[in-house]
Amino acid sequence: MPAEYIFTSESVSAGHPDKLCDQISDALVGHYLRQDPLASVIAECAVSTGILFVSVKVTADAVVDIPNTAREIILDVGYDQGAFNGRTCTVMTSLSETNGAYPRVDEMALDDGDLDRLTAQENVTLFGFACTHTPELAPLPLWCAHQLMRRYDHVRRQTLRYLAPDAKCQVGIAFADHQPRRIDSITLIASQHSEYPSLATLRADLAEHVIAPAFDGQPVVPDERTRLQINPEGMMLEGGPALHAGLTGRKNGVDTYGGFSRQSGAALSGKDPTRIDRAGAYAARHAAKHVVAAGLADLCEVQLSYSIGIAGPVSVRVETFGTGRIADDKLTERVRQHFDFRPGAILRRFNLRRLAGMHQGQFYRRLAVYGHVGRSDLGLPWEAIGDADTLRA
Amino acid sequence: MTATFQPVSRPLSISSVADLEPMLEDAFGAGGTFRDLLAMLGARPSCLISGAVLREALDATQLRQALDEFLPYPQLVESLDEIRVFRSGAQPVIEFHFAQPHMIPQETAFGVVTVQVARTLSFRIEENGDVTLQPGDMRVRWFGVTENLVVRIRRIEGPQGVQDLLQVSAGNVLSQAMPLTSLTMPTRPARKAIVPAAVPVPPPATIAVTVHRLPGRIRLRVAGLYRNLAQKTRIERHLARQRGVHAVSANILTGTVLVQCDATISAGDLELRVSAIVAGVEDSASEWVESRPWHLLDVAEVARLQGSSTTDGLDPAVARQRLEELGANALPDVRRRSRVGMLLEQFSSLPVVLLGASALLSIATGGLADGAVILSVVLINAGIGYFTENWAETTISSLSRGARPVARVVRAGVEHDLPGEELVPGDLIVLKRGMPVPADARLVATDDLTVDESALTGESVPVAKHAGVLVERDVPLGSRTNMIYRGAIVTGGGGRALVVATGLATEVGQIQRMLAETEQPETPLQRQLRLLGSQLALVSLAICGGVFVIGVLRGQGLLLMLKTAVSLAVAAIPEGLPTVATTTLALGVRRLERRNILVRRLVAVETLGAIQDVCLDKTGTITLNQMRLVSVFASMRLYLHKEGAFRCDDEAPCTLQADDDLLRLLRLSFLCSEVRIVSTDAGLTTRGTPTETALADAALDAGIDVVDLRQRFPLLRAQPRSEQRGYMVTWHDDGGAGLLAIKGAPDQVLGLCSLQSRQGVVIPLTDDDRARIVTENERMAGQALRVLGVAYGYGNDVPEEQRNLIWVGLAGIADPPRAGMQHLMERFRAAGLHPIMVTGDQSATAHAVARQIGLRRDGHLEGLDAAQLEHVPPDVLRSLAQRLDIFSRVSPAHKLRIVQALQRAGRVVAMTGDGINDGPALRAADIGIAMGQDGSQLAQEVADIVVRDDNLQIIIIAVEQGRAIYDDIKKALHFILASNASEIGVMLLATTAGLGEPFNPIQLLWINLVTDIFPELALGVELPETDVMARPPRNPQAPMFSRADVGRIGLEGATLIASTFTAYGAGLARYGIGPRASTIAFTSLTAAQLLYAISCRSEQHTMFEPAACPPNPYLPLAVGGGLALQVLATLLPGLRRILGVVPLGPFDWALAAGTAVAPLLISEMTKELSRPRSAMRRR
Repeated sequence: MPAEYIFTSESVSAGHPDKLCDQISDALVGHYLRQDPLASVIAECAVSTGILFVSVKVTADAVVDIPNTAREIILDVGYDQGAFNGRTCTVMTSLSETNGAYPRVDEMALDDGDLDRLTAQENVTLFGFACTHTPELAPLPLWCAHQLMRRYDHVRRQTLRYLAPDAKCQVGIAFADHQPRRIDSITLIASQHSEYPSLATLRADLAEHVIAPAFDGQPVVPDERTRLQINPEGMMLEGGPALHAGLTGRKNGVDTYGGFSRQSGAALSGKDPTRIDRAGAYAARHAAKHVVAAGLADLCEVQLSYSIGIAGPVSVRVETFGTGRIADDKLTERVRQHFDFRPGAILRRFNLRRLAGMHQGQFYRRLAVYGHVGRSDLGLPWEAIGDADTLRA
Repeated sequence: MTATFQPVSRPLSISSVADLEPMLEDAFGAGGTFRDLLAMLGARPSCLISGAVLREALDATQLRQALDEFLPYPQLVESLDEIRVFRSGAQPVIEFHFAQPHMIPQETAFGVVTVQVARTLSFRIEENGDVTLQPGDMRVRWFGVTENLVVRIRRIEGPQGVQDLLQVSAGNVLSQAMPLTSLTMPTRPARKAIVPAAVPVPPPATIAVTVHRLPGRIRLRVAGLYRNLAQKTRIERHLARQRGVHAVSANILTGTVLVQCDATISAGDLELRVSAIVAGVEDSASEWVESRPWHLLDVAEVARLQGSSTTDGLDPAVARQRLEELGANALPDVRRRSRVGMLLEQFSSLPVVLLGASALLSIATGGLADGAVILSVVLINAGIGYFTENWAETTISSLSRGARPVARVVRAGVEHDLPGEELVPGDLIVLKRGMPVPADARLVATDDLTVDESALTGESVPVAKHAGVLVERDVPLGSRTNMIYRGAIVTGGGGRALVVATGLATEVGQIQRMLAETEQPETPLQRQLRLLGSQLALVSLAICGGVFVIGVLRGQGLLLMLKTAVSLAVAAIPEGLPTVATTTLALGVRRLERRNILVRRLVAVETLGAIQDVCLDKTGTITLNQMRLVSVFASMRLYLHKEGAFRCDDEAPCTLQADDDLLRLLRLSFLCSEVRIVSTDAGLTTRGTPTETALADAALDAGIDVVDLRQRFPLLRAQPRSEQRGYMVTWHDDGGAGLLAIKGAPDQVLGLCSLQSRQGVVIPLTDDDRARIVTENERMAGQALRVLGVAYGYGNDVPEEQRNLIWVGLAGIADPPRAGMQHLMERFRAAGLHPIMVTGDQSATAHAVARQIGLRRDGHLEGLDAAQLEHVPPDVLRSLAQRLDIFSRVSPAHKLRIVQALQRAGRVVAMTGDGINDGPALRAADIGIAMGQDGSQLAQEVADIVVRDDNLQIIIIAVEQGRAIYDDIKKALHFILASNASEIGVMLLATTAGLGEPFNPIQLLWINLVTDIFPELALGVELPETDVMARPPRNPQAPMFSRADVGRIGLEGATLIASTFTAYGAGLARYGIGPRASTIAFTSLTAAQLLYAISCRSEQHTMFEPAACPPNPYLPLAVGGGLALQVLATLLPGLRRILGVVPLGPFDWALAAGTAVAPLLISEMTKELSRPRSAMRRR
């Protein structure tokens, strides 16, 4: 990599159709897990103009009102008027309920050796990443983009009521010597319910109420050279599913590291945590964050590969991009020693099955916006770095 | 996503009627036309008019009529989203945007034409003000050809002066011009309805002239109606709404209008009305029925508009006047099919007509007896058809009619009872529990009013109603909580309301009007029999003609050959076809009626056998439409309540004495209720709200002496639930500090408790227990149960927060499915039927019921939850509909859409219904099934079949009978075709080969009489084959006889011909051309045909498998009787003389017998040979 470069990451608001689908999928996962922590759920959504398609494959001792859950999310996200809204949209549900085909093994009731009974059910390679850009040890471009979108959603609910829920933004960070120096550019695209107010008002409002507060008190703030673009192509009226379709699992970059590290092709939302492509991604992040928190590296990417039918990962690799205090091979060995990456162990370590029940079913749904990793607002178990000291030794 | 971020510069938006009115004033103030409106719009700077505003304006002005002239399709106007005006270059353009493209079938002089309208219609305004529609926006399709419709609105100067014309042309086929009417804008539109309308200025009376009149039946000739579709639509639409008019039919080919109306209406009056409609002057009555968004208005405003008072009601004099003006608050009975029409239908099939002609020919050629025989056959056929259909119709209409409601009304401040028919808009009505709502009304005041609107919305849970103002305009009826509608029933509380619509103007009335627009589709058998009958008749006639020509060429006598040809035609034309079909179907009706199924349309019996999808109403059809206690969670245990008994969750019956808390819960919930106990002959019954009676019934099931309970704990006072407090509390005298019983929303009740009762012991309520109760509550709610929490406490005057109540348990209440539904769904699937549940309920309720009855296929369930199905594009709905198992939250109009979507996908759809709201869908469905016991009269009248005892299982029986009946008709037809082909074949071959005449005319008629009618009738009453319900439904599109079937019939016909010819040939060789050979052939053919009938009993099974076909006593009778007659014919000298036969010797008998048995054996053998292949195909 050159010494100086710009890196951009994109984030989207809660009202973006793809994110809407992610949230509905994860809300369904949460509702099933809340009633039956051992539930096996796959929930996929697609949305276009007036129709939401929900496909749920589930094995659980639970009953969830799928259309109603979806409508609640749509309304909550802010689609309560206009062509697409939670009250009048059509919800098509395709529900497959199977009984007993799935082994109901509770990892909490198993001893360490028995955890092997829970094997990976997916062939997948996963990545976890951490870096020293922010206190959360997350890459700065995406972190800034998430801040903007959080602020946007907040402002839309509280003050600027003319804003519609659909928005997205991109933040470009200038790096020198692999350290973020300044914000190079911010592009924000917002939608609004009607053609009033004008574009000029929209731009002024967003600059004042969204962009400025989002960076308030942060070490890196927009300066006079930062290129600010708000709706450069004009107004977006309504936005949302009325304008463009959405699909569960289409915003992998937004969910993870904004492209700053490698990412798995598998989506995170809409799956119960026994799916290794979801739990494994969290475990990888957990390990990478520990490496950086322990001061063993400035950048760290942990790669985990799983094969169907095998409990442990077939490959564990740690890459520090030359920032490691010790050799990558040694670090890999230390991570492998320290973290148990078997699916059952991950489930147990993070208590993934019961988190939904502990947060009134809201846990997974909250994950589905503003990233699954690198956030401090939800008390995520894979963001905790309690074991960093032992890793250092 | 980037492509969608385009700069938008939106034109000025017109979003209220007030903005629109000056423009309309401009356009119509001086008496302009639609052209002036468009020109004026085009002259303005760019602007946007929203569809909602436009529709509101339509109600206030005559713009609707202007649009009608141009777009005579109401559905188009209703889907209008906005009108956009802008400039393209220098030219102004006006665009009409619709919610979706439309395909509108249109009855025209050229047959049915489809008008296709794109989503946008663009008009270009030319400099002189003429308007042209963008080519391609509107198209017509006829005879499979699509043409652009070219529409121009022009101003021309003719001899009568300046006139605006609408010119429509398509290709070079259609071209028509129609004058546009001058429009005026009425002042104060809303008030106009109240003030008795001034007599419209009589327009020139030459517009409408009476052609003839009978009492109640007037025909008018109307100028400008000839070939003017828009005018036809307008006259029919406006006139049909008027008081005293029953039916209107305008004919654009004759330019006349036929009106059926009250006898009191004079022809002159009608002329004036029609003239007024043509001239564009609306009358007051039609203005009145236009519905207003009453739910958006303040009560005072409603009262002002209605000229009434919210305290004193109407003045009796005003009420009388309105009653006179608007007519009674009654819904007309659904029209019965006319007897004359039914009778005429019997004579309209081609074979019958040809037979009639044959009869005349016979008589003309001297064969009076033959003619008489043929004519009597025709008359018998028609008579049977007419009497059975009439009988079915009579049976239905003799069903009991709904009772006339009595309304409680306030007039001039005095409250009294009034027959429901005498209500008028503006009346202040009083609502009490149990009362049916007599008219549509806006609520003025309520006291915990709840209303059961299931008849209108399908939602079985009563809806709470309030008198407030709503702000959302387009909310479904079920959500208009400040309105009540005719057909609903007050289930709790009370209130007062101002009537806003009566009679046909009510929502129920609107549904009835929708019925008139819904056509009954032709059933598959009707279609196939019509085609087959005509084709066979033509083919037979052609062959008979051929026999005649060949015979004449061969030198036979002209008259003899004509007689032979006519007799052959009589023998060959399957005149038994309608008879067999009608009698078989009529007998089917009888068979079904014995199973408590009433059939309204004869051919529906057979359509039953073709059903592929069965749309089942949830409320009242799959479920009981009665709330029942389903489960109880008490003492941390789950109890299930099923069929009057309690079980623990492991299905073990539980002994109630030991389970204290369950009984405690039932006792407390009974004390804390307003249920009335009524003692009847059958024991105690409960009256009250559905939820409370469900709990009380469960208490009775548990053996609790409820009367004694109330006596032991007399009620001191009660605090009903309210909006803030989701629970009810009652205080009882227990001889001590006082007992307090509480039941209501579980979370709120639980919040009041700090203790719990566990196996009768009061212990503290821990956080863990609380969490478990909350989880159980959610689980029960997830199963679509209405969950109540029950608790109790002691003390009479303790403040609420210090009560320290004792938690008892949760009670889950639902409308459970009827018994046996699961088995029924299995049988549906075994028979290849796809059950679809359609309900106005929430999806959770629907899914819960679907799970319980096993609606799912392989654990897979697809549902559509749509409050606004009209927003789903029709083609999307069509492709989705075939896959779906559940439609939830659908309104009555949506049921119709679902049925139509399935039909567009090529499915044959049955639909059950019981509410008045189901009418349109029932009628549109291929088979509309009305559930009789509780079903409304309307649903029963429009349905194809009525199930009288509400037992859905009967649908399976009906389908089985339907399939068997179709099979029977097919068997009979199979027999007719093969045997008639043999007669024709033998005659044709013999005549062509010059081998004389094997049969004389009288013999042909004899064959016809002995071998056709009776075996046919016997085959027509075959019972269902044992495996009929294990086969998939037949393909309704496929012809009755597949290519393979036709091959079989041909083969069997050829076998009959060959064996007869063998007999005839042997006879010729031995005796030469003459009566002896002819008699052998005659005997052989008659016997062969009779025996062949045995083979036609089953397509798949042979006569050697007696188990496959249940015994049919009529067939041996028909075959044996026929054989006996044939033997008699050759033995009795009198008969011999008439028939022209001679006695036969032993060799002749053996020859005839051998050639008669051979075809039967050969056809059974070929069946056996072809079976392995067909069996494999089936698999």
